[in-house]
Amino acid sequence: MPAKPTTGIVTQDASTPWLTLKMREAMEAWLFIGPTLAGFLIFFIGPLIAVVWYSMTEWNLLAQQATFVGLDNYDDALFRNPDFWLVVRNSVIFALGLVPFNMALALALAISLSRRFVGVVFFRTVFFAPVVTSAVAWAIVWKFLLQGEAGFVNQMLAHIGINGPNWLREPDWAMAAVIVTRVIKMVGLNMILYIAALQAIPRDYEAAARLEGASNWQIFRLVIWPLLGPTTLVIMVITTIGSFKVFDHIYLMTGGGPENGTLVLAFYIYKQGFEFFDVGYASALAMIMFVIVMVLTLVQLALRRRDT
Amino acid sequence: MTSLTLAGIRKRFGKVDVIRGVDLRVADGEFVVFVGPSGCGKSTLLRMIAGLEDISEGELRIGDRIVNEVQPAKRGVAMVFQSYALYPHLTVRDNMGFGLKVRGVPPHERRQRVEAAAATLKLDALLQRFPRELSGGQRQRVAIGRAIVGEPDVFLFDEPLSNLDAELRVHMRSEIASLHKRLGNTMIYVTHDQIEAMTLADKIVVLRDGQVEQVGTPRQLYERPGNLFVAQFIGSPKMNILPIEAVAGKLPGQPKTASLVGVRPEDLELTEPGSGFVDARILISEYTGASSLLHVQLPSGQVFLVAHDGEAPPADTSVGLAVEPGRLHFFADSGRRAD
Amino acid sequence: MGGLTQKQLRIVNQVCWTLALAVAAIPFVFPFLWMISSGFKSASEIFGSPSLVPREWQWRNFVDVFTYQPFARQYFNSLYIALTVTALTLVISSLAGYALARLRFAGAGLISLFLVSALMVPEEVTMIPNFFLIKWAGLIDTHWPLIMLPVFGPQGIMATFLMRQYFLALPRELEEAGKMDGLSRFGVWWRIALPMSRPALAAVAIITFLNSWNLFLEPLIFISSLEKFTLPLALSNFTDPYGTPLWHLQLAATTLAVLPILIVYLIAQRQIIESFALSGVKG
Repeated sequence: MPAKPTTGIVTQDASTPWLTLKMREAMEAWLFIGPTLAGFLIFFIGPLIAVVWYSMTEWNLLAQQATFVGLDNYDDALFRNPDFWLVVRNSVIFALGLVPFNMALALALAISLSRRFVGVVFFRTVFFAPVVTSAVAWAIVWKFLLQGEAGFVNQMLAHIGINGPNWLREPDWAMAAVIVTRVIKMVGLNMILYIAALQAIPRDYEAAARLEGASNWQIFRLVIWPLLGPTTLVIMVITTIGSFKVFDHIYLMTGGGPENGTLVLAFYIYKQGFEFFDVGYASALAMIMFVIVMVLTLVQLALRRRDT
Repeated sequence: MTSLTLAGIRKRFGKVDVIRGVDLRVADGEFVVFVGPSGCGKSTLLRMIAGLEDISEGELRIGDRIVNEVQPAKRGVAMVFQSYALYPHLTVRDNMGFGLKVRGVPPHERRQRVEAAAATLKLDALLQRFPRELSGGQRQRVAIGRAIVGEPDVFLFDEPLSNLDAELRVHMRSEIASLHKRLGNTMIYVTHDQIEAMTLADKIVVLRDGQVEQVGTPRQLYERPGNLFVAQFIGSPKMNILPIEAVAGKLPGQPKTASLVGVRPEDLELTEPGSGFVDARILISEYTGASSLLHVQLPSGQVFLVAHDGEAPPADTSVGLAVEPGRLHFFADSGRRAD
Repeated sequence: MGGLTQKQLRIVNQVCWTLALAVAAIPFVFPFLWMISSGFKSASEIFGSPSLVPREWQWRNFVDVFTYQPFARQYFNSLYIALTVTALTLVISSLAGYALARLRFAGAGLISLFLVSALMVPEEVTMIPNFFLIKWAGLIDTHWPLIMLPVFGPQGIMATFLMRQYFLALPRELEEAGKMDGLSRFGVWWRIALPMSRPALAAVAIITFLNSWNLFLEPLIFISSLEKFTLPLALSNFTDPYGTPLWHLQLAATTLAVLPILIVYLIAQRQIIESFALSGVKG
């Protein structure tokens, strides 16, 4: 005999004896996460496995046939094709130029803008604006500004008597130009993360250090900087990974030129895969990129762990 | 109406056993309080009855139904949460009527029931407000009102007063007591505050480490605690405990198996040195208004608390401690009561 | 020495800082100004006139943009794709985030771990197999890949974790009260958890929308017909037959693409910046 239904609460006899509450919860969980999981398997895990296989094949696009060639593509990239090492070198230079510059500028801006003063909102808005702007638009405008003689930047330089180079066409300058313009585009994001971290530091620490006679620099070096550690790590990891992913910016500004001087890994993969349709080789490159990014991430995490 | 039966109830979180075999019967219309130190599993047990935690082992009956695998809303229980858990985006009226709406109760009946509950709890004037516009006590009342509106068989309270200030707590305590008198429902109430437990309960269940230490009326627990833990947990200040060999001579009514003796601070009286069952020296005397709390040191080095009415002797005075024979509690080595 | 008081010193200090910041801000602001001004210049004036104000306002540029290629259609494509991606991401990521935050089930830890690691893998790695997948499904030169890949890719996963973090911080008892009130799991999610998560939902919406709006690599790979282009692709396409940019048109079009976003940003800058701070990841 079930408890009498005099109350409004027992609307139906609810026991579904074959389904325990625990099983029901698990079932609901799988339903909730189902779409994400399905998409993850189809668009990430599947392709990740496929790219390993592709990287060990030679594709004939006309015949739509793949022949197994073992590690040939890797051999090709690492030992035979001089382009590959040029591209790796470019990527490393790009990262080494971009990451410290971006982080230092982000931190400097964040420190200037984490206090309250007239205009602080204005400056934050300004420094962050390029982040929400499309990379394509940003690249187009800067490419325009950096034109040879007629470009605005060089005209300004001419006013003060400097003969500016053809920024995007000269090998020495092109890389610097893409790095700097990319930093300006993205620095706002790291700045925001640093500001959030700075504002989360209790004011008492700074006050206590000041009472003990610490100088501004000492306060920064001994109090603020260590407390920013976790944020710095996160920023370093995402900025580094981001620098290896950069594609649209370079595609539009220099097209990888001049003389492949700005041809970076992501772009190179795109070229091999989608312009020359060398699927096997491009897949091997993708695998190498995967390994590089993973190793970089793990090294940074390990370094940090040893530090603290 | 509705009784509850817990048989061999266990709860495991991974490898940790949080509830380790609880057997309990709650009679129809009874007000039962689960009390115990934090981490004893009292809230978990309540949440298992509510259906918010699944039961790893054992059988839970509400009325005649086994409800182990019945969803919370279909068990005929309502719960008042510690944080009140009022929906911030709904008015008081909608908060109270939410459950009815979900269950498809027609609007006019919903309205009637919400307003009836609001009237009993003096919430009429607040029905259009949002939770953030209410004081702590008002929120508490809305949370209770929400439970009433559903006309549950069993009410569950999870430390409902712990977020209120002392004065309000005393007031709400009496409101809950009168609510129980009026509705006559079975109620289960969790608290860590033994005063709340003593004042509200028909029956107290003392829990420790996921096990029931003792079940009884407040009077039973106070006067005949079943073991050392209950003896020290119930009553404030704590019961004094002394190894029996520290007392010179045999105590009245001392059983053979006893190795410890306990006496409540309020049962001790000061006498001339040598005339009590043990002598002591006063260390500190804390004046609290109605009485004084004396910290006294026994020859064995132990410190006893004595609740003393009237003027307290100054520190360093030597005194004797006397007690009525019936007020001594004896415990065996195992901690169990020895009679 | 008869110098400045503490207060005066502070003011001088602040003025110097502000000036320095203003100088630093030039490369951040100027490109936008120059873009707008150049969009109004004629093909002949666009080079060689270092003035922000055009000699004559060439409104025709903004008409020519629409006749040079189906720019209105392309604009609409970007808009509806971004809105679709945003709506789908909101639903799918908040469902998954809720399961990861609140439901107990075997494998939850493992799934989280897998999803997090996927965040570190650049899209370029899986792009080639994904291309063949899309090709196999016959969806090349359709908008499907531009919708599916972002929804289920790193952006979607990031949104899932953002939602998960937010759900974890919500008071659990509210959802339990909903359960006691008779809501199904879905009901608890929809009627209690989501209404309380507006800030997180807004953050996901903002970031997802912008990401889709600015997407370039995927359209470049998957789309070939002009009328199916999205904005970023269209912008890069204002060239003469030899591939030389038609700067006046390109900059007018870029202005049209960037300005609405920029205006919304200026109005809601606080909310938008907070959204990015909340997500903590991108780029």
